[in-house]
Amino acid sequence: MKNILRGIFTVIMLVILGSCQERTDVVDSGTYQGTIKEVEADKAEIYVDTDDGKTLELYFTTKTRLTMNGDSAQFSALEEGQRVQVEVERVGNRLDPISVEIVEGDE
Amino acid sequence: MNELPDFLRTATWHPLLVHLPLSLLLIGTIGYLFGFLGKRKFWMDFGIVLLFAGTIGAWAAVYTGEMADGAVARQLCDPTILKIHDNSAHTVSWLFSIASALVIVDFTGLGGKMQRAARLAIVLLMLTGSGFLVRTGHLGATLVYQQAAGVYIPSEDCEEFY
Repeated sequence: MKNILRGIFTVIMLVILGSCQERTDVVDSGTYQGTIKEVEADKAEIYVDTDDGKTLELYFTTKTRLTMNGDSAQFSALEEGQRVQVEVERVGNRLDPISVEIVEGDE
Repeated sequence: MNELPDFLRTATWHPLLVHLPLSLLLIGTIGYLFGFLGKRKFWMDFGIVLLFAGTIGAWAAVYTGEMADGAVARQLCDPTILKIHDNSAHTVSWLFSIASALVIVDFTGLGGKMQRAARLAIVLLMLTGSGFLVRTGHLGATLVYQQAAGVYIPSEDCEEFY
C-alpha cells in the first residue's frame, strides 16, 4: 500500500515538474545570440535558448525581418538547433522580434 | 471604420468550450470523494462519469487553447502568463487522464488493499488536478480581464454597431 502511494506521489510530482520545464524568460530590449530550441510553424513562433541560459519565446510579427547570410529568408528556413542572432524589443513582458538572423545552419 | 468581427473565431472557441470540463471535473471530484469517504457506490459512479467526460473535455480545451494562443499572444502585454496557463492546463489534463486510467484498472476487478490503494490514488490525483484546475482557470481569467486576450474592443463611438 505504502509503495503504491509512494508511486502515485512520484507520478504526480513528475507530471507537475514536467509541466514546469517549459518556462520562458523576459529580457531587456537588445540583441541576443542563441540556439533555436523549438519552431512552431503554425503559430509563426520560435523558442531560443540564449547563450546566457535564458529561453525566449518569440512570436514573429509582420515587422520581423528574417535573414540568412545577409539575404531575407522564409520562416520555413528556421529549424531546431540553428544558431541565431535575435534583436528583440521588450513591450511590457512581451518580446517582439525585430530581426532574426540565422547565423549557421543545422549541421 | 472598424468592422465588427464574427463572434465565432479562432480565439473564442476556447472560452466557449472550457467551462464545461471545468465544472464536470470539479463536481466529479467532489462526487468521487464523497463516494469514497462515505462508501457510496452511486456517488463514486457519478464522479467517474464526470471524470471521463471532463477529461475528454480538458484535452479539447487544451487543443482549442493552442489554437487561441497563436491568435492572441501577439496582443498580450504579458504572454508569460499565457505560458504558465498553458503549462498548468497540461498538468490538469495529465493528472485527470492518469486518474481515468486508474479507474479503468479498478474496473478490471482489483480487490482488497489494492482496490483501496487505487481508489485513494484516484482521489489524490483528482484533488491535485482540481487545485491545478482552479489555478488554470484563474490564470485564464486574468488573461481575459487584465489583458483582454481574444477580446474585441469596440471603437469609442461604437460606429461598427450601427
